Amino acid sequence: MRPAAPVRLAWRPRDSAARIAAAAALSAVCAAALVALSGHDPLAAAVALAQGAAGSPHQIGVALNRATPYLLAGGGVALCFRAGVVNVGAEGQIALGGAGAAAAAAMWPGADVIAALLVASLCGAVWAGVATAIHLGRRVHEVLATLLLNFVALLGVQQALSGALGQKGAGFLQSPPLSPAFWLAKLPAFGVHAGFALALGLAGASSFVLWRTPFGFSLRVAGASRRAAAYAGFSRARTTWSVMGIAGALAGLAGGVEVLGVHHRLIDGFSTGFGFKAVTVALLGAREPLAVVPAALAVGFLETGGQAMQRQIGVPSALVVVIEGLTMLFVLAAAARRP
Amino acid sequence: MPALLEMRGIVRHFGAVRANDSIDLDVAEGEIVGVLGENGSGKSTLMKVLFGVTKADAGTIRFRGRSLEARGPADAMAAGMAMIHQHFMLVEAMSVLDNVMLGWREAGAWLKRSQMRARIFEASRRFGLDLDPDALVADLPLGRRQRVEILKAVLRDAHLLILDEPTSNLAPVEVAGLLAILRRLRGEGKGIVFITHKLPEALDVCDRVVVLRAGRVSGAADIGGVTKAQLAHLMMRRDVTAARAGDRAAPGAVRLAVENLRGPGLGPISFEVRAGEVLGVAGVDGNGQIELVETLAGLRAPQAGSIRLDGRDLAPSGVGARMRAGLAYIPADRAATSLVRNFTVAENLMLRDSARPPYARCGLLSRAGLAARAQQLMRDYAIRAPGPSTPVARLSGGNSQKIVVARELDRQPAALIAHQAAWGLDPGATRFVADQVLALRAVGASVLYLSSELDEVLDLADRVAVLAEGRLAGIVARGSVDLGQIGLWMSGRAA
Repeated sequence: MRPAAPVRLAWRPRDSAARIAAAAALSAVCAAALVALSGHDPLAAAVALAQGAAGSPHQIGVALNRATPYLLAGGGVALCFRAGVVNVGAEGQIALGGAGAAAAAAMWPGADVIAALLVASLCGAVWAGVATAIHLGRRVHEVLATLLLNFVALLGVQQALSGALGQKGAGFLQSPPLSPAFWLAKLPAFGVHAGFALALGLAGASSFVLWRTPFGFSLRVAGASRRAAAYAGFSRARTTWSVMGIAGALAGLAGGVEVLGVHHRLIDGFSTGFGFKAVTVALLGAREPLAVVPAALAVGFLETGGQAMQRQIGVPSALVVVIEGLTMLFVLAAAARRP
Repeated sequence: MPALLEMRGIVRHFGAVRANDSIDLDVAEGEIVGVLGENGSGKSTLMKVLFGVTKADAGTIRFRGRSLEARGPADAMAAGMAMIHQHFMLVEAMSVLDNVMLGWREAGAWLKRSQMRARIFEASRRFGLDLDPDALVADLPLGRRQRVEILKAVLRDAHLLILDEPTSNLAPVEVAGLLAILRRLRGEGKGIVFITHKLPEALDVCDRVVVLRAGRVSGAADIGGVTKAQLAHLMMRRDVTAARAGDRAAPGAVRLAVENLRGPGLGPISFEVRAGEVLGVAGVDGNGQIELVETLAGLRAPQAGSIRLDGRDLAPSGVGARMRAGLAYIPADRAATSLVRNFTVAENLMLRDSARPPYARCGLLSRAGLAARAQQLMRDYAIRAPGPSTPVARLSGGNSQKIVVARELDRQPAALIAHQAAWGLDPGATRFVADQVLALRAVGASVLYLSSELDEVLDLADRVAVLAEGRLAGIVARGSVDLGQIGLWMSGRAA
C-alpha cells in the first residue's frame, strides 16, 4: 500500500492571515485619516509611533513585556472561544493572579518565584471555576457569569490592598515592594523578563494541545457544533470545566507575571483593561493560540509606540485604542462575509 | 361555492429533484382542504410557491379571481392570505393587543389601542377565540398563542388561512378547540388549507383531502365517503412483495432488549431485537422518533426503564460508554449532529473515535494513523471526495452520509440505531445505505431502523413496528403486514 498523504485539519491559516493583514491595513488608513483630522501630520505620527515601539532595544523590551499578559490571557481566551465558551472573565482572573502572586511573596518569604507563579495561576483558575460552577450549575449564561465576577475580583483586590496586602501610608493603593527573590529573571536581550519566554512556550503548547491531542479535538468539535460534540461523547460540562480552568490559569499567570516581572509590587489597577484586551487579541488571532502571538505583539508594540507618539507630537495615545478597535471590527466583518 | 384559490400545474425543481411535479390545488370559499403527505412529499415547497418565498418553474396561481404572482410573503398577505406556522411568530414579551398591531400598517401611524381592543373583543367572540387583548403572550399556553395568530389573520381580513401542522404542539383539548374555531371560520366563508399528517383530524374537520407523494398529487378524496383505512391507503404505496431484505430462516438470540423505557414524549416502550434481525419502525414523524433514538443513544436521560445490549444495561451509561459497548447510531440530522460541516472528511471519520487507535496513540492524535484510516474508509465505503482533507460541507448528501455510515459500521457494532438514514439521498446512495444495513445484519448485529418512509421500512425490516404518540402501536412480522392495519396504527387511535 502506498504511504498515505498527510492530512490537513480544518483550519486554513493563510486565509486568516490575509484577512487580518487586510483589516490591519484598512484600519491604518482610517487611523491616518483621524490623525490628519486632528491637525497633525500622519507620516510624522507614524514615524513617532514606530520609533517609540521599536526605536531602541529598551523600547522593544518594553513592548514585549507589555505584550506578555495579552499573550498569556489571550491564548486562554482563544481556547475558550474555540470550544464555544464565551469567557470574558480574564480581567478579574488577571487581577486575582497578580494579587495571589504578591500575597504568596509576602506571606512565604522562603518560597520562590515559581511557587508565586503557581499560586497566581491557581487563583485565576479558581476564579474561572467559580464562574463555571455558576454557569453550569445554575444555567447562568457564561458571559454574565464571567463578566460580573470581574467586578467582584477587582473590588476584592482593592479591598485586600487597603488591608492586609497594602503598604501603610503610601497614599496610594499598593503593596510594599516584593523581595527581589520573587522578581522574574531578565532575559539576555532587550531587558525582557522571563515571563515573555514562558508565554511564547505556553502559546506553542496550547496550539499543540488544540491540534494534536484528542482533548483539543473535543474542544474544536464542541466549538463547531454542540450537538455533534454531545453525539461524539464529549460532555459539555467536562469541556467547559477544563477549558475554563486552563484559561483561568493562563490569565492568573498573566497577572502574576505582570506583578513579578514589571512592577515588583501589587498596584491597584495594574491590569486595568488587560482582560478585555485579551478578548480582542484572541479574536484578532482567529481563536488560534499560535496566531495570538502576532496579535498580542502587535497590540504591545502599538501601545508602547502610541505613548511615545503622544509625548512627541501630541497625538493622543487613545488613538491606538481606536486602531485596535477598528482592526477588530474589520477582521470580524471580513470573517462574517465568509459562507 | 365560488373558487377562492386555484393552483394549476405547479412545478418546482431543486437541482435534479422535482419537489413539485405539476400539482393542482383548489380551495373554495367556506371549504377546509387537508393537504396530507410525508416529509419531503412537497407540501412545504407548494406553500412556499404560493407565498412567493420561492418561484415556481411552471404553473399558474389564481386567487380570488385574479392571477397572483406573489414576490414574497408581504404580497401574499396583501392579497388576503395568512400563514399560521408551526412555530408561532409572536413576541412573547408583548401583549396580545400589541402583537396584533405589530408590523400592521393599517393599524395606523398612531396606535389606537382602545379601538383595537374593541375589535379584538368582537372578533374573539365571533370566532370563539376567547382571548384577552391585554394578556401577555408569554403567559398564554401554546393553544392560545395559536389563536392569537388566527386573530391576526381574521382582523387583517384574510380570505385564505394556511395552517402548517397546526396540531403538532397542542394538547388534545386544545386540538378540539382549534377544530371548532376552524369550523366557525369556514362558516364565515373563509378558505382553509390544513396541512397535517394526522388522519383522524383530517377526517374530522376537512371537506376534502389532497394527498401528496414525491412531489405529485397521489390522490384526492371528498371526506364524505372515505374511511380512515382508505385514506391510509392513499398515503402509502403498496407493493410489499419485492422487499430487499428477503426472508430469513431463524433469527438468533436477543441482543438489544428495551424494557419499559420512558421519558418526556416517549413510552413506556418495550421491544427486543435479535441477532441478525432488522426491526423497522414506521410512523409519522414527531411521534416520539427523536425521543426514542436519542434516549437509546444516550443523548437524553430516560425517566425509567432499561436498555440491555447483550445482557448489559446501558441506561446508566453516557454516550461514549454506550458506543464503546457496541451501540452505533446514525442520527437523522446530518447538518449539525452526525457531521461537523466545516471539518474535513478525515476529522469527521474520527469524530466519535478520536481517543482510540489508530486515530490516537499515547494520548496524541496520530496524523499518519488518521490519514491511513481515512483513505482506507474512503475506499471501502466509496466516499467520493477530492481527498481526506476536503471539508464535508463540499460533499453531496450521499457522500456525507457515507462518512457517517463508514464511521459507525467500521466499529463493527453489536447493534445499530439508524434514524432516517436515507433521508434526502438519491436512489444510489439510498441503496448503498440499505446494503450496508443488510450487510451488518448478515454478520449478526441487531438493527433498529426508523423511517417515516414506510416503503423504506418495508424494504429492510424483518419485523415492522409502528411508533405513534411515543409508543409502539404494534409489531408484526413483515410477511404478515397488512397495510390497512399499519395505517390505522400510524393514525394513532388504534391498539
